[in-house]
Amino acid sequence: MPDRATSSPAAPAPSPGEPLTIAVVDPSRARAAILEEGLRAVEGARVVVIPDTADLLDRLSALSPDVVVIHLESPSRDLLEQMFGVSRLVERPVAMFVDRTDAPMMQAAVDAGISAYIVDGLRAERIKPIIEIAILRFNAFARLQRELTEAKSELADRKLIERAKGILMSAKGLTEDEAYKQLRRKAMNEKRKIVDIARAIVTAADLLG
Amino acid sequence: MRLQLGYVPLTDAAVLIAAVERGFTAGEGLEVDLVAEPSWATLRDRLALGLLDGAHMLAPLALACHLGLSGPQARLIAPAALARNGNAVTLSLPLWQALDAESDALADVARALARVAEARAAEGRPLTLATVHPYSSHTYQWRRLLALGGSSLAAIRLVVVPPPRTVAALESGRIDGFCVGAPWSSVAVEAGVGRIAAFGAAIAPGCPEKVLALPVEMEDRAAPLLRALKQAARWCGDPAHHRDLAALLGAPRHLGLDPALILRGLAGALRLAPGGQLVEAADYLVLGEPELTPDQAALGWMVEEMAAAGQVEGTPADAAGLYRADLLAAA
Repeated sequence: MPDRATSSPAAPAPSPGEPLTIAVVDPSRARAAILEEGLRAVEGARVVVIPDTADLLDRLSALSPDVVVIHLESPSRDLLEQMFGVSRLVERPVAMFVDRTDAPMMQAAVDAGISAYIVDGLRAERIKPIIEIAILRFNAFARLQRELTEAKSELADRKLIERAKGILMSAKGLTEDEAYKQLRRKAMNEKRKIVDIARAIVTAADLLG
Repeated sequence: MRLQLGYVPLTDAAVLIAAVERGFTAGEGLEVDLVAEPSWATLRDRLALGLLDGAHMLAPLALACHLGLSGPQARLIAPAALARNGNAVTLSLPLWQALDAESDALADVARALARVAEARAAEGRPLTLATVHPYSSHTYQWRRLLALGGSSLAAIRLVVVPPPRTVAALESGRIDGFCVGAPWSSVAVEAGVGRIAAFGAAIAPGCPEKVLALPVEMEDRAAPLLRALKQAARWCGDPAHHRDLAALLGAPRHLGLDPALILRGLAGALRLAPGGQLVEAADYLVLGEPELTPDQAALGWMVEEMAAAGQVEGTPADAAGLYRADLLAAA
């Protein structure tokens, strides 16, 4: 790692219109990709995804970004606080987080799982869209993940019901429609879900078969 | 009352974890969700922004947050101290050999470390030593250890490594040593990659380690939680319970580590070197009811250390309001 303590004094933060380097650090590669895509819309921004690995510090020092967006789940956050706060590994001083006077935005960011480290002196109007995009993207990712989990369990449920129907059809000589009606009636009588009845049938068949 | 309480999985979260898992909080009518946080910064932000009702926190970080030096500023109170001491300086085996200290005595180790640190700095390849957060007793213990031997933080490269990553960082050679809380030094020794060179308790006796930090708004509602912590601290302080406590802390939902390694820290009998003998260190980590009372002298010590590390200038007037022993006494 180059020791920059002896290098030139602090360079000024970029003024409006100048290109901006945004580093994205996230333990989830999929989420990092979604965030990266969103941030490309920020005018004049160069977005670089940096893997959350042991050499993070070296890579960030080499990049010297204006803004670092990092997921709250990352244990590397403490590492960044040292890097930006106390040591002089980066040439420009970096202040933590969004405008301290903008509490609702800070809360929304933390709620969404975002923290950001920003070069001191970067103007609020340049930071705001970055954080807003990050919040939207992270929330969208969380929603997608929830939907995916739900879809997966729905699919598993359907497969289970299909198997239970098949077992009933061959054991009792029923049509598919009749088998399903039996399942549904049993579920209604016992105040349980169809999938629970189906699971019981499949388990029993597995044991007996 | 339902509370969300954050912690970072470490042995010194024992009193808080035991308060919940041994039923002391439930006995006080509290429903507590314990939330393991991945970093101190995340825990601090969630606490400061009201997403946590309280947390197990590095005492200097609680102070820094209270003073607006770190993260979003929040008025905090620390009505209980959760642990005293508990850190150890562990060096890579090559660095320990290079030290060639005359004995294991702190003064000898410090002198040898300072000599190597200065030599390496002169060669333009300073030692890389790890702490857990800029605002931590670990940072201050490095400063004191180097100063004791005649060197300073300026001679080394101080980096932060999250505790669960310390062992791998030491093994890979990315760092030459770390100062970290229990049980991570024992994990490094057991993995055969590190040598405990000094106990935090020797470098800074009676060092304030973790506190229970609450938003100041919790002031009037803290009593049931504080009563539960008293019972838990009493339970944790009894050596007869150390084995059960180690098993509880070692569970996958908390530290997810071998209880035998956690037990070493709780019992104050640690192996310094891979394959070495167990060494008695009675005050290595001190838990128990007497330790719960936050000590104003410890607060003063932290302010001095922050100033010495260049983190704060003078004595901030707001510092004194953080420690609230009165709330614990009244609970």
